[in-house]
Amino acid sequence: MQTFHLISDCLRPLSRRPLPDCLNAVRRFLSVTAAAVAGLLPVMLLSSPAQAMNCEALRAAEGAQTISVHCGGAPSATFDKNNDVWVAFVSDLHVYVSHSQDKGTSFSAPVRVNAVPEDAEFNGENRPKIIVADDGTVLLSWTKKTSNRFTGEIRFSRSTDGGRSFEEPRTINDDGLAIGHRFDSLFLTESGKLFVTWIDKRDLEASLARSENYPGAAIYYTVSDDLGASFIPNVRVAHNSCECCRIAVAAHGDDDVAILWRQIFGEQIRDHAIAVLGHDGSVSDFSRATVDNWQIDACPHHGPTMVPASSADQYHMSWFSAGTIHSGIHYARYDLASAASSDIIKIDGTPGAGHPSLATFDGTLYLVWKGFDGVSTPLQLMLSHDEGRSWSTPQTLITTDQASDHPLLITSSDGVYLSWASAQHGYVFKELSHD
Amino acid sequence: MINKRFFSVLLSAAVLFGPAHPAVSDAAPADNIQGFGPQTFTAIKAQFAGKPFVVSLWSVDCAPCRVELDMLGQMKKADPDFPLVVISTDSIEMREDAADILDEYQLAGETTWMFADSFVERLRFSIDPGWYGELPRSYFYDAEHNMMAHSGILTEEKFRELFPY
Repeated sequence: MQTFHLISDCLRPLSRRPLPDCLNAVRRFLSVTAAAVAGLLPVMLLSSPAQAMNCEALRAAEGAQTISVHCGGAPSATFDKNNDVWVAFVSDLHVYVSHSQDKGTSFSAPVRVNAVPEDAEFNGENRPKIIVADDGTVLLSWTKKTSNRFTGEIRFSRSTDGGRSFEEPRTINDDGLAIGHRFDSLFLTESGKLFVTWIDKRDLEASLARSENYPGAAIYYTVSDDLGASFIPNVRVAHNSCECCRIAVAAHGDDDVAILWRQIFGEQIRDHAIAVLGHDGSVSDFSRATVDNWQIDACPHHGPTMVPASSADQYHMSWFSAGTIHSGIHYARYDLASAASSDIIKIDGTPGAGHPSLATFDGTLYLVWKGFDGVSTPLQLMLSHDEGRSWSTPQTLITTDQASDHPLLITSSDGVYLSWASAQHGYVFKELSHD
Repeated sequence: MINKRFFSVLLSAAVLFGPAHPAVSDAAPADNIQGFGPQTFTAIKAQFAGKPFVVSLWSVDCAPCRVELDMLGQMKKADPDFPLVVISTDSIEMREDAADILDEYQLAGETTWMFADSFVERLRFSIDPGWYGELPRSYFYDAEHNMMAHSGILTEEKFRELFPY
């Protein structure tokens, strides 16, 4: 493997570049025509027409600078203990937070998190994360892109006044290096331990400096037991992770978490590994969670999803692979004690299918993913009532023939909800469990 | 996937309604980057009718792609007529980032393409319905346009084996 000139690249200063002038002309053009187009666009298959406001229509009605969940980059959502919905998204170099008291039908005016503009990453695998603790503290993490050479910092902020204002963002990676720290995940345990995990290139850079080979990157994490007031020093979970796939995090007991990530096995097999991370900074040895045999020296940009199963130490997993053993989206249930998977099931093998999200509620397992049939993107849903042993036939929740985000499933104390953004439908927040 | 900045929707409109090369800031490097839309691949194939050609897909965010760009830049330098189609799967809004990288591998002078429609699934499908989106990805077309695909870094030896022209 060659060195990609990473160290020199990340020292190169990169300035923010102004928008091309012609963009403003296009915006003006669209704002004139969008009103006419808007009436044709929101052909919703879902039953809640109140959400059928896409960004284009919204900005035509309320101005081109409108900040809204419907215009936000890569939104993610969570419930607070009152079952209000909180959404974080990126708009114009700021992370914003907005909340809803009517399950996503209407949203509060967005509040800016970072006062100083910064390049918060937002795409399918990289998005701001949000959790609201039981005491109302709003917790956020995201990745700040610091160059175009895959460098970044893991950022954290919180609000202790119910989301009215946010603390100045802090950088969570503690190496002080202008290298890659990206693909953050955020998780709060039942007992209030706050975990941040991410993909880190400090070990890669150190190896390159010694002219040694280092496949991939590494997984790191930190924990806070005071809701983000302080964090323990960064802890390495594993060397040689894949560089560009989101990390799935799930509860392991009340205090700890299990994480699932794409790991490089051998020289270039990019399957998945699972490990348990302790709130005290202890890390279990990782085990191989999927055996797909995907030999690829490339960037899949396709991370897994994982939720706890009803038996202790068992996890429902769904992931994507193009390996020789498994290709397409798969489901399996992994048992930490025996280090074995059962009920490995191919969910969708078509090449356009990807980005699964899992949730459990009231004994039912929900799996949503994105398809593509050559023309449009259907969001597909499958259910299992027996812990993943058998599944319903897929049903299409909604379809778009425009750009769309990855679908996410969000669980509250009363149900499972779809969180999904698309150019056509705007931001859709929709209950799945009572249909 | 919602692509960077969300202006990509506007940018696709820019490609439809505006000039093919949006004006960029003064510091912009010269480039020959064209917008890649849903019909572009058909047009590229027509351009190479009866001739073999190679397609290389990359992105600004893809570290292994740099290895391939390095090799392609050197091959193109050795043979300026080499039938090479380089397509970035980044939104064309990131053209300056892409141009910097192409320049580093001596490919900035070549005509290359960047995705110019935020509905990237459709663009990927237009190139190859069987492609999962992984990068780097390469296609080798013979004169009859029979196609072979390869994912991951290519060595020059492998490249020559797949494209003996």
